[in-house]
Amino acid sequence: MNGYAGKFLGVDLTQRACSSFTLEENRLKKFIGGSSLAASLYLEKYNLDADPLATESPLMIMTGPLVASGFPGSSRFAVAAKSPQTGIWGEAACGGTFGPELKRAGFDGIIITGRSPSPVIISIINGQATISPADNLWGKDIYEVTNILKSEDKGLKVLAIGPAGENLVKFSSIGNDKAHFIGRTGLGAVMGSKKLKALVVRGNQPPAKANEEKYKETFKAAIQEIKDSAFAESLHLMGSDAAMDLGMMSGDVPIKNWTVGEDFELSSKLSGPTMRETYLTKAHACANCPIACKRVVEVKEGPNKTEEGPGPEYETCCTFGTLIMNDDLAAVIKANELCNRYGLDTISAGATIAMAMELYEKGVIGKEKADNLELNWGNMDTVFALLKKIAFRDGFGDFLADGSVKAAAHLGADALDAVVHVKGLEVPMHDPRGFHGMGLAYMMSNRGACHLQHATMGMEQGMVSWPQLFEMKEDYDGKTSQGKAMLVFNSENYGILDNSLSICHYLMYCLKPETIRDAFNAITGFNFDFKDFLICGARDWTLKRGINNLLGVSAKDDVLPRKILTPLKEGAAAGSVPDMQLLRDEYYAIRGLNADGIPKEEKIMELDLPELRNKLYKK
Amino acid sequence: MTAYKAFTQEWMDAWKQKIAESKEYKEIAKNWEGSVSITVNADPSKNVPQPVYMFTDYWHGDVLDFVICDEAKAQTAKFIMTGDYARWKQVAKKELDATKALMQGKLKLKGDLTYVVRNVKTVNKVIDILTEVNTVFPDEA
Repeated sequence: MNGYAGKFLGVDLTQRACSSFTLEENRLKKFIGGSSLAASLYLEKYNLDADPLATESPLMIMTGPLVASGFPGSSRFAVAAKSPQTGIWGEAACGGTFGPELKRAGFDGIIITGRSPSPVIISIINGQATISPADNLWGKDIYEVTNILKSEDKGLKVLAIGPAGENLVKFSSIGNDKAHFIGRTGLGAVMGSKKLKALVVRGNQPPAKANEEKYKETFKAAIQEIKDSAFAESLHLMGSDAAMDLGMMSGDVPIKNWTVGEDFELSSKLSGPTMRETYLTKAHACANCPIACKRVVEVKEGPNKTEEGPGPEYETCCTFGTLIMNDDLAAVIKANELCNRYGLDTISAGATIAMAMELYEKGVIGKEKADNLELNWGNMDTVFALLKKIAFRDGFGDFLADGSVKAAAHLGADALDAVVHVKGLEVPMHDPRGFHGMGLAYMMSNRGACHLQHATMGMEQGMVSWPQLFEMKEDYDGKTSQGKAMLVFNSENYGILDNSLSICHYLMYCLKPETIRDAFNAITGFNFDFKDFLICGARDWTLKRGINNLLGVSAKDDVLPRKILTPLKEGAAAGSVPDMQLLRDEYYAIRGLNADGIPKEEKIMELDLPELRNKLYKK
Repeated sequence: MTAYKAFTQEWMDAWKQKIAESKEYKEIAKNWEGSVSITVNADPSKNVPQPVYMFTDYWHGDVLDFVICDEAKAQTAKFIMTGDYARWKQVAKKELDATKALMQGKLKLKGDLTYVVRNVKTVNKVIDILTEVNTVFPDEA
């Protein structure tokens, strides 16, 4: 089958057995790949009621049809499972090297079930999968384990967890080759629960393309569009942290656990240009990416000294910078390195610490409770100590290791107001008070508050303009809720596709939709038009929403946290809050949800999801 | 209030004066060094028969040269911004944010993007002030 390896790997760690299976073309046409395909399999084949860390719960690693094609940005892969952090659908995606190598090794994806009695690694070499002991690797951090595995074969691509995943920290991550992270929703803990320390993969057989000539033409067009893109240039020069200066101008950057609206001095010390002038050693690219937005940094001396390695993204510069009132970029880099090594999601880790700092300031958390750590704002020694305590579930770290919502719940109702989350997932570093559409997108994202499962940021902040896809303005006013439901609906239906196609979100912003469509068609031969794409996006959203409904999600969960509904006194977003009711009512009508937040039966059937209809409506 | 024909020397003088009078600009732009040229591509259908080249120069909160120029002079600027007439008109009327227009490829920038991002507040202030100039556009005259 063009564009696909044509085979999936099944691994049962209890039985220590590997097998392969195929999927019918119709399913691939409906769900394409990535987490969309994973969700379709999860709904049909697994027990949704099982605990996320139960033996029977699957961990699913999926690529998409563009992966390993060589097309710009086609390095992505998704990991999906029921989230141990939120208890609902969990997924995260990253670039790097693992996805393309897995495809070249002969598999479009892997589904892992069971639990090994002792630590193991899975090796996948050119179509052959084996399970072998990894007792010697258990306890090592992600950098160490990756170095050890690569020392045996430099060409291996590694996916590994650190101590946080082993200790079932609810926001633990999975690292690919030390530089790319499956961060959100705590999927490192699912890997840890299976005693799976790492996967290594090597392959040299890329899937065939349906139309090689057309592909080459499209590839050339894509390269030219990237060359012409100011967005791509800014990513290459400053990484995602280019958003820091621009975001402070527009009211996008959260400060002091979402309570302060503007601080240009703070942002200028943490921004992309500053990183470029101080600690950047080089730019790094995922496989098949001409942009190279990844930062490689080194703090050469001082208390925050680090080795040369992956630098922080914008989100991390906020969570360990503006959100906790730290203006020392070197300390952000150090915190980022610690999260990478321990295997912690930098958004949830930083946001959880910010919550703890606020509650410490308010006297809700005392010094004794905090293991005698001084949790004052910007105290980075405390942050470094806490990250270790969280990863190893030590004392106060254990209290925080289940995430900010669960920690605050132990401290009482008032403490919950210090938590900024949707459906149990801490909100990413884009303030909906400056951009109301983003607020709605957070409310309706299927993995909890998410800035990436849609293209709302690009559309609402004006980084992209796609009038060929749907009606949209060139320049949206961020601080209005009027008309944003349609924007978010459209942005989800198109933006979700970056995951199922497995193409980089940033590349989606740099390339014309026509170019992505043409590449997809040249590779798969499916001959999709825009309408087909947008239906696939809507199907993906509805499927995951239905899974979440089956897991207990309803309209009561589609809410923004109190802080986001509290106006700021200063900055570009001063006085502005999203109109949650208006946004939700309009969105429900457009998306075809009933008053309980459940997709209507006719909408489900319109999107050809009979299995979901059977389960939701008990047919 | 006097109205000025867009992309004329009188219009540029009015814009320059407003910038020079802005205390807020002086404070925000205290670190800015260097010139910016603006090229408006020809659009005969909108009464812009030839490209228009403008050269503007700024130094630590002061405004220096602000002149209509030729292509050669425009090319000497530290930053060169180019776009179609319709886009510049949208920017001048506050219908399109200049930063967004750059990201969407509707305006082009030649020069150090890092410097622009670091000083985005200055850039936005200059454009904000432009929108305060009472302007008559070529296709509206």
